[in-house]
Amino acid sequence: MAKFLLLAFRDIFRNRRRTLMTLLMVGGGVTGLLMAGGYFAFMTQGLREDTIRNGLGHLQIFTSEHFRRDEVRVLDTGIENWRQVADSVRTAPHVRGVAPRIEFYGMVSNGQKSSVFMGSAVDPDAERSLGFTANLTSGRDLSSKPGSEVEALIGAGLAKSMNVKVGDGLTLLAVTADGALNGVDVQIAGIIQTGFAEMDARYLRITLPSAQRLLQSDRITNLVVGLDKTDYTDAVYNQLIPRLGRLPQAMTVKKWIDLAGYYKQVRNLFNGIFLFMGAIVFFMVLMSSVNTLLMALFERTREIGTMLAMGTPRAWIILLLMAEATLLGVVGAGGGLVVGNLLGSLLNASGLQLPPPPGYTVGIPFRVLHVPWIMAGSSILVIFSLALASIMPAVRASRLRIVEALAHV
Amino acid sequence: MSGLVSVEGVSRRFPMDHREVRALDDANLRIEAGEFLAIAGPSGSGKSTLLNLMGCIDKPTTGRIVLDGEDTSALNAARLSTLRREKIGFVFQTFNLIPVFTAQENVEFPLLLQGLTPRERRERASAALDSVGLGLRAQQRPDLLSGGERQRVAVARAIVHRPVLVLADEPTANLDTHNATQLIDLMRELNESLGVTFVFSTHDQRLLEHTPRIVRLCDGQVAEDLRLAEVVHG
Repeated sequence: MAKFLLLAFRDIFRNRRRTLMTLLMVGGGVTGLLMAGGYFAFMTQGLREDTIRNGLGHLQIFTSEHFRRDEVRVLDTGIENWRQVADSVRTAPHVRGVAPRIEFYGMVSNGQKSSVFMGSAVDPDAERSLGFTANLTSGRDLSSKPGSEVEALIGAGLAKSMNVKVGDGLTLLAVTADGALNGVDVQIAGIIQTGFAEMDARYLRITLPSAQRLLQSDRITNLVVGLDKTDYTDAVYNQLIPRLGRLPQAMTVKKWIDLAGYYKQVRNLFNGIFLFMGAIVFFMVLMSSVNTLLMALFERTREIGTMLAMGTPRAWIILLLMAEATLLGVVGAGGGLVVGNLLGSLLNASGLQLPPPPGYTVGIPFRVLHVPWIMAGSSILVIFSLALASIMPAVRASRLRIVEALAHV
Repeated sequence: MSGLVSVEGVSRRFPMDHREVRALDDANLRIEAGEFLAIAGPSGSGKSTLLNLMGCIDKPTTGRIVLDGEDTSALNAARLSTLRREKIGFVFQTFNLIPVFTAQENVEFPLLLQGLTPRERRERASAALDSVGLGLRAQQRPDLLSGGERQRVAVARAIVHRPVLVLADEPTANLDTHNATQLIDLMRELNESLGVTFVFSTHDQRLLEHTPRIVRLCDGQVAEDLRLAEVVHG
């Protein structure tokens, strides 16, 4: 069988030009898939980490009633003894920190104009300890120093529509836990960009004490948990469930993926595009290989006739031609892997930057990740395509009439 | 009738342009083991058809061919393939060597089909190449060999698996007179030394001078079956 495989291997280099064309196509397909898949992987990984670092965290803890809450009186279902909950979470392995949050809604006014805002109240030190830094376009971040509790960060779009700048004052209005309307005055410390234009048009961030004064409650809506690595999410989640089950208030833990709707949409989109590209490469390799292999068969008709005359079993002829195609796929895939990885490394080193896509306000760096499963999947895809493409020519070869094949010119 | 090969009332007809061509018409022939036999006749007389039928790569329209005691017309494709693999060696007009294999590997090929170990294959192929005088050219690929050398490799390939019958269809057609004579002499030597039956076709009268038995075909029929006085084997 080794000799037979040797024959198959030598056969693929018989017509070098045709083999080169096939290898270019197969290798090009693998390279294309590596580039696209590596870029998509970079995008999804980047988006994942950005989503987590932009404040989502790896895990979030809510009360069990939170998702059945009244959207107006958000703290009705808030966490009561949140410091006790935070302390319980903080001692779990791989937990980097815990940050309390109040997510709320209200009206903002500058005396002349009012607008709806989506508010987020934070503990600035806890946020910074988790690496959640605001993307400031002007001004400075919130502070925990005494007197800083009257400060606010405001989305760039909201600042523009309200016609305010750093240092200007705003009045925030919101419904308290008791259902009354309350207001606080804040001063704009900085203007931020979230990366999403729609979010920037409504976003406002204040300190936790300001929000608690505004909403007249000591409760918070959620605790954001940051981990050492995203890979630990499931393990820490499994540890927190029993810990939180021992607390008097019923709690729910959400993983970042459950809260990252946009991330999931983007990932599904990339997966869809990648699958479509894979299908195109598969059919390209399949169709062109069938043609190439039929040409090769035509040229070798007499040789195959000779083999059959000498008593070569027809199944061996099929295996020989399929082995040739598969080896061609292996060589092509190997070449594609080398070229794809080299090209990816070169592009990564070049520091290429892409313009911002729709909905984004910042550009995206072009990077290609070297992902083992994409390398393996792309290689298997083209090898399988070639093996599949060889079946019809191989079966046709095995059914040649020997006398006619020997007379073939 | 018995013998190594027995051709009994064999006809082979081919459809061509809405009519039927009779390549062989009620041919009868008996070949004994160890014979050295030439099938002669002009182009279109049915020489290749007869060899194809004896080589089990074609089936007669009527009649039957018995090879080494087996009625080949009753065998299925797989059994015929096994029969060819084990009992028949072929030498073709255009050599038909596998171009990506060396001479040694080409000669090993029939042994590969028989499942011999690499060592056995090497030893027997080397011996076969030595017997045709190409021991020193064993590692050359066919494109580096002359026409005469290629055909000798083909002869080595045809005898390496120790068949009972070697069929050579116009083996000298692509060779010059000198090489053609040498090849026929080589086949004759192997016939004598190995005892294997050789049947070759030719339309070259000069090559028939030292052939002990000549079967002449004309219009698909055995027109003449000449046996020289000194039939060596049998």
